[in-house]
Amino acid sequence: MAAASTVNKVQEVREVTRLERIGAHSHVRGLGLNDDLEPRQVSQGMVGQLAARRAAGVILEMIKEGKIAGRALLIAGQPGTGKTAIAMGMSQAMSRDAPFQAMAGSEIFSLEMSKTEALTQAFRKAIGVRIKEETEMIEGEVVEVSVERPATGTGAKIGKLTLKTTDMETIFDLGQKMIEQITKEKIQAGDIITIDKATGKISKLGRSFTRARDYDATDSQTRFVQCPEGELQKRKEVVHTVTIHEIDVINSRTQGFLALFSGDTGEIKSEVREQINSKVAEWREEGKAEIIPGVLFIDEVHMLDIECFSFLNRLLESDMAPVLIMATNRGITRIRGTNYQSPHGIPIDLLDRLLIIATTPYSEKETKQILQIRCEEEDVEMEDQALAVLTRIGMETSLRYAIQLITASNLVSRKRKGTEVSVEDIKKVYSLFIDESRSTTFLKEYQEEFMFNEVKAASGDAVAMET
Amino acid sequence: MPTFNITMSELSPWVETLKSARKTALIQDGRRKIHFTLSDGTELCEEYEIKTNDLVVRKWRRKSTLGGVKAWELEVGESDVASGMSALSLGTQQLIESNSNPVCIRRDTRRAFQWRIRNLPYPLTAYQVTVDDDKHGITIRTSNKKYFKKLTIPDMERSRLVLDSNSLTFAHANNTLIVQFKKPKAIVDDQEVLLEEFKKMKSTKDGDVECNQS
Repeated sequence: MAAASTVNKVQEVREVTRLERIGAHSHVRGLGLNDDLEPRQVSQGMVGQLAARRAAGVILEMIKEGKIAGRALLIAGQPGTGKTAIAMGMSQAMSRDAPFQAMAGSEIFSLEMSKTEALTQAFRKAIGVRIKEETEMIEGEVVEVSVERPATGTGAKIGKLTLKTTDMETIFDLGQKMIEQITKEKIQAGDIITIDKATGKISKLGRSFTRARDYDATDSQTRFVQCPEGELQKRKEVVHTVTIHEIDVINSRTQGFLALFSGDTGEIKSEVREQINSKVAEWREEGKAEIIPGVLFIDEVHMLDIECFSFLNRLLESDMAPVLIMATNRGITRIRGTNYQSPHGIPIDLLDRLLIIATTPYSEKETKQILQIRCEEEDVEMEDQALAVLTRIGMETSLRYAIQLITASNLVSRKRKGTEVSVEDIKKVYSLFIDESRSTTFLKEYQEEFMFNEVKAASGDAVAMET
Repeated sequence: MPTFNITMSELSPWVETLKSARKTALIQDGRRKIHFTLSDGTELCEEYEIKTNDLVVRKWRRKSTLGGVKAWELEVGESDVASGMSALSLGTQQLIESNSNPVCIRRDTRRAFQWRIRNLPYPLTAYQVTVDDDKHGITIRTSNKKYFKKLTIPDMERSRLVLDSNSLTFAHANNTLIVQFKKPKAIVDDQEVLLEEFKKMKSTKDGDVECNQS
């Protein structure tokens, strides 16, 4: 019996992980610091960049205390030195309630919204408000669940759920999503459940004490709960966190029949925002709500233009501002929207308000460790020699290119029915896919045979980097 | 001016709030339908039968804590069963009480608050209807543990009156349990005052509803 249940559990875990796709930073699980904020060389998916990680940890502590608003941080470094990984690590290490809003600098350029509006929205998405709200809950013991397919075989399923308390019993008709949820959560007779009426979310509290003698249906983790009393439907106060932007949206929706004509919320009026600000301040004074400043992360911040930077200056002065983290891989370059050069493409007055963390290129050892972590994350077995070759490729070309080769070489090794990726496989994919520098040499060599070629290629490179 | 002040103080707070609310009235299907918007943004809708002047529907729409609009909440009257079924098949609602369950509807007469609970097949002896110990609500229990309901009377809460168990009666017939609670004099008086007030209101007839374009 016990063996069978463990087998089941293993399968369940597999199912869950399969749903998640492996992203570029999915191996990052935190900043990899110990309790004294000392960085460990390899921990939580982070490798090296000790000083930068430690600095990020200090900032994180500041965010957790929640006292300081409107601080800004810039992570600067060459491409592929783990800037985004550090930001992701910070988001993972933050408490679950605190909002972490990530965006790329280019996201604010939209035809439907002005740049300042997009920035304001991003700022307000990064501030959470923890507030009590009354919701209607249904709480009871499941007497019977029945899900039937219609006789024709196709079409919507029909579901009924009978719930009881010690005093009453009610039958409910179920919608399609609810039926799916019940089958997924494996709700069965004898379970004590609550259903949030507004969201339709079911949560299992445990099993009824009256079922404690059904030995076959229990495992060691089953909790036994008393059957609820009184009415099935109850009003309960639930504490939850919403972002200020969400409150803005709720209050700026056009009401009445005019709502039919105004589709999306689009821009939110500044009067609405002011109202919300004063309302939130009022709640805070009355002790009804608590403000949780979060983090706004703007990647590729050099994509913002001079107007955005001056607007950022203003936003950072508000007392409800979140902590702003920016990342850039540019050196001294033109500020977008002007002809002036400035470090990181950010005006000096804004730079003056920033704390700057620098990331440095990885050493060979660190590159190897990162590749090893990625191999694990992508479920790839690799020979030591192959890993050494791949590390050398990573040092000579770029870390990103080397990471790209992992899964590609794994596929090649699987095609030849190998269990581990060998040096041969790496060589094969290295010849199949060329990296950026080989591509450039290739282009230089055969420039004349391509269309629209410009002979002065050397200066063309530099221009491309600046835009 | 002083006399005016005296008449104001004689009115109960409930009458006062309704009088000061923004009102629109409409006569449709033999009913006087009145829509109130209270000072805090809450909406109230009342429907009176014109012939008998009985209150048929009273429903509220309150703002949620965050300022969103919630669904209408019925205080008096019957909700549309068909709308619940269609909401389920359309997917706007995921869970509704099956129509084989007991349904509790408040339907007042002029002299009493009245609840009709349909689909209750058990004999009269199975029910136990009592006023709660705190005198703010009525509890219905069944000896077979199939039905349980706490009734509150918002009218009494608004006038800050407590419930007297002597005014409570109940009967059972045709699968329906009828619970009655005799209205105290204060409530009946308020009712008369409001009715006179509503009759004075200018109400649009059905068919020529104004549709101002903004």
